[in-house]
Amino acid sequence: MTTIVTPRPELLDTSATNDNYLTFTRGFRSWALTLDHKRIGVMYMSAVLASFFVGGVFALLLRTELLTPGRTIVSADTYNQFFTLHGAIMVFLVIIPSIPAALGNFILPIMLGAKDVAFPKLNLFSFYLWVGGALFTLYSLAAGGFDTGWTFYTPYSTTTTTGGVIPVLTGVFILGFSSIFTGLNFIVTVHKLRPPGMTWFRMPLFLWALYATAIIQVLATPVLAITVCLLIVERTMNIGIFNPSMGGDPVLYQHFFWFYSHPAVYIMIVPAMGIISEIISVHAHRQIFGYRFIAFSSIAIAMFSFIVWGHHMFVSGQSGLMNTIFSLISFSVAIPSAVKTFNWTMTLYKGTISLTAPMMYGLSFIFLFTIGGLTGIHLATLNTDVHLHDTYFVVAHFHYVMMGSALIGMIGGLHHWWPKMTGRMYNEKAAIIACIIIFVGFNITFFTQFMLGSQGMPRRYYDYLPEFQIYHVISTIGAYIMACGFFLCAACFVQSLLGGKKAPANPWGGRSLEWQCTSPPPHDNFSSPPTVGNCYDFSMLRWDEKEQGYVVDKELEAVAIAAEARGHS
Amino acid sequence: MLSTLTSIFIATASVQTAPPVVTPADFWLPIGASVQAHNVDLMFNIINYICYFFFVVILAMMVWFVIKYRAKPGTRIRTDGMTHHTVLELSWSVIPLLICIAIFFFGFTGYVDLITPPKNSFDVNVTAFKWGWQFKYPNGAQSDNLVVPSNRPVRLVMRSNDVLHCCFIPAFRVKKDIVPGRYSTLWFQCDIPTGIEEKNGYHLFCTEYCGTGHSNMNRRVVVLPQAEFDEWLVKQAQWLDEIPDDELYFKAGPKIYARCQQCHSLDGTVGLGPSWQGVWTRLTTPGGARFSDGKSYSDIIGLGKEYATPEDYIRDSIYNPGKHLVATYGNVMPTFKGQLNDRAVDSVIGMMKHLDEFDAKGAWTKTLPPAAAKTETKSEQK
Repeated sequence: MTTIVTPRPELLDTSATNDNYLTFTRGFRSWALTLDHKRIGVMYMSAVLASFFVGGVFALLLRTELLTPGRTIVSADTYNQFFTLHGAIMVFLVIIPSIPAALGNFILPIMLGAKDVAFPKLNLFSFYLWVGGALFTLYSLAAGGFDTGWTFYTPYSTTTTTGGVIPVLTGVFILGFSSIFTGLNFIVTVHKLRPPGMTWFRMPLFLWALYATAIIQVLATPVLAITVCLLIVERTMNIGIFNPSMGGDPVLYQHFFWFYSHPAVYIMIVPAMGIISEIISVHAHRQIFGYRFIAFSSIAIAMFSFIVWGHHMFVSGQSGLMNTIFSLISFSVAIPSAVKTFNWTMTLYKGTISLTAPMMYGLSFIFLFTIGGLTGIHLATLNTDVHLHDTYFVVAHFHYVMMGSALIGMIGGLHHWWPKMTGRMYNEKAAIIACIIIFVGFNITFFTQFMLGSQGMPRRYYDYLPEFQIYHVISTIGAYIMACGFFLCAACFVQSLLGGKKAPANPWGGRSLEWQCTSPPPHDNFSSPPTVGNCYDFSMLRWDEKEQGYVVDKELEAVAIAAEARGHS
Repeated sequence: MLSTLTSIFIATASVQTAPPVVTPADFWLPIGASVQAHNVDLMFNIINYICYFFFVVILAMMVWFVIKYRAKPGTRIRTDGMTHHTVLELSWSVIPLLICIAIFFFGFTGYVDLITPPKNSFDVNVTAFKWGWQFKYPNGAQSDNLVVPSNRPVRLVMRSNDVLHCCFIPAFRVKKDIVPGRYSTLWFQCDIPTGIEEKNGYHLFCTEYCGTGHSNMNRRVVVLPQAEFDEWLVKQAQWLDEIPDDELYFKAGPKIYARCQQCHSLDGTVGLGPSWQGVWTRLTTPGGARFSDGKSYSDIIGLGKEYATPEDYIRDSIYNPGKHLVATYGNVMPTFKGQLNDRAVDSVIGMMKHLDEFDAKGAWTKTLPPAAAKTETKSEQK
């Protein structure tokens, strides 16, 4: 292995730094028809954040309805549509595309030192597929909405009278292809476009995570496409596949659905884990602890994700033998998750920790993911799951994992790469306060739901027993607090765009390649091919007061090179 | 292979016959009133303590490191942290693995107890539908709430009339999906009688989303000592037959209407189905209400038409609810064929004809003449 010296940002060709990807060309067409992965990433991010807003509004409406037993603001049928929309939007339009398609699109090629992804046109196509899927979802509302739950369980979904079921299923089908194409693109890009010197084990861990995610996207998503196709066929042509009154089997549908939707959970969480590996290491300025264990744990999770889907069906009528096997295999996911959590925590040991906004999200992630992961044990264990299945305990558990972990990871990643994406800094103090408000609100909202669930409150309930009301009120208050946090967070970003300080190339002290190019990056990412070093060796960095960012110190660099040379001799 | 394992675990699980214990509700779990609850709760609490331990360890490490190694920008970056430590990393892979295998094993044995009904169990047939339950007993008795004997294993043999439902009794720690097209079973044994008062019974919920009335499918589980239960069972099978014909509508009517009131109001409030208010007038007046196909009542009711009398129409609407839909209402009503017999239908029709004698909740507002009051005291509870 050769050590190659990293050029300092100020030595980069200045003619390129004056022009960046945002101002490289102008006009609507230059964005709508762009093949630039950065612009596609930014468009994805705006679309995902808009969907997140819509999904969030539905969440607040739900929580408001649940303030009192019986009717509070809407009828039972409207409530059923609300929770269905909240789930479907958050899963298919927000969390699944958020990290790979939005942040991943922007960061992955730059981290590889590449000019773009392997197939830029496919990349743009996948964005428009997403838009198409989102339009179908929107259209389904005009067509009468849908009240099936985001799981579309049969025979309810094939017999319900709401008119939006087929449009939304079509939307999901299209969104699936968007996801498959992104995954395909990333697999090829990681295999083919790594620069000289970047071996597999020199890749930043975020790339390992995106790679593992891409494998799941490509292998699992087609099954979802098949499933929704069969559902549409059954609904429109009355062919009995899942409906027992026509000779079908509803449990078969659940197998099909979870065969995709369990791996989908890892499509959501694994890239967030990758972001956290970056954030913790960069903001602690400390070599990531146990690189190989973390990298392999991402791959292990991707593999295990395909063989644990049956744990969603312990009380569904699946045989006892199947339940036993799935329970045993499900526990295997606990091991790579535990490895990651311990390794992140150990990365803080003897670090040089900056408590920046991204770091606050990183630490929140560890806290929330620990709770989300540990409560998974209750649900993987057969006899306790029988009591907890389909109660608020499950709701709380998967919100800790999907929102508390996946989404908080995404927001953390957005704070981490925001200076790179926009070339602007945000108000750090306000961003940290927003993070704390979100964190507190989140725990108030969802920790209460663990108690609600273990006390026996079933999920998807419009009306409930009076003794559960106190928990619901607390949970709703938490949701409002969380909403305030997100609004403050959004305000920070808007303020940053309007009048934020100009961002340095390397505001946090990162060593992966994206911190070598200017903020925002030029159209071609790098004016000269970047040089690859150890992306987790922070020893040569020095805070530069004038630059307001980190720079490579020549003397420290010499020491580092000498140390590495000694290590190899 | 599973069956041999199962029998081994049933043998070892004879601990179940321990004296009846009711676990009071605590911070996490509701009251535990079945013989199975104890093991589930034990497992739940063991896992909880394991979680507390790991959570505190991770949190303490995190907070301690952040406080200790926090530094302002400009501080010289430390380089003395280790990059990896194979023994440490293997230990936090292997130790959780061993803990997980242990938890799996105990969860598995507990589960086998939970799903294997003893041979001497008492069977109750359960039908779930949108949106209610029907509990049928071996002697033909039917009930709206689940009534079971205490100190005896009870097995529910469940089926669904329409979509997926799920039977969940939190106090017993049991749950099972009810899948249309197949039978599913669930068993429990409760040794703590609740008394006949419905409001003291344990909650029973539907936990598989099934549409509009999903959250209104809660019923009560009433647990009676065997002797009391036997007595109830006999009465329950005959109660409708013991009521004189002319008293049917006010004695049986309100009890049966309890199953209709979720969708059909008596005071004109719009529900999922048409209100019963003025229904008899509508049925007997030419024109009347319209059906979704544009026909009116008088088009199908009358001599030589589809229904000779309004009574025929009502009876058929209860048994084949989708046949004629009143305009603006959807095809959502389940059939009550096999659930309401002729006398039950008679009492419903009788009630419709005398709606002015009932209040909005379906309670009979007139008083009995002294002669009839005697039979009233004998009428039993449903």
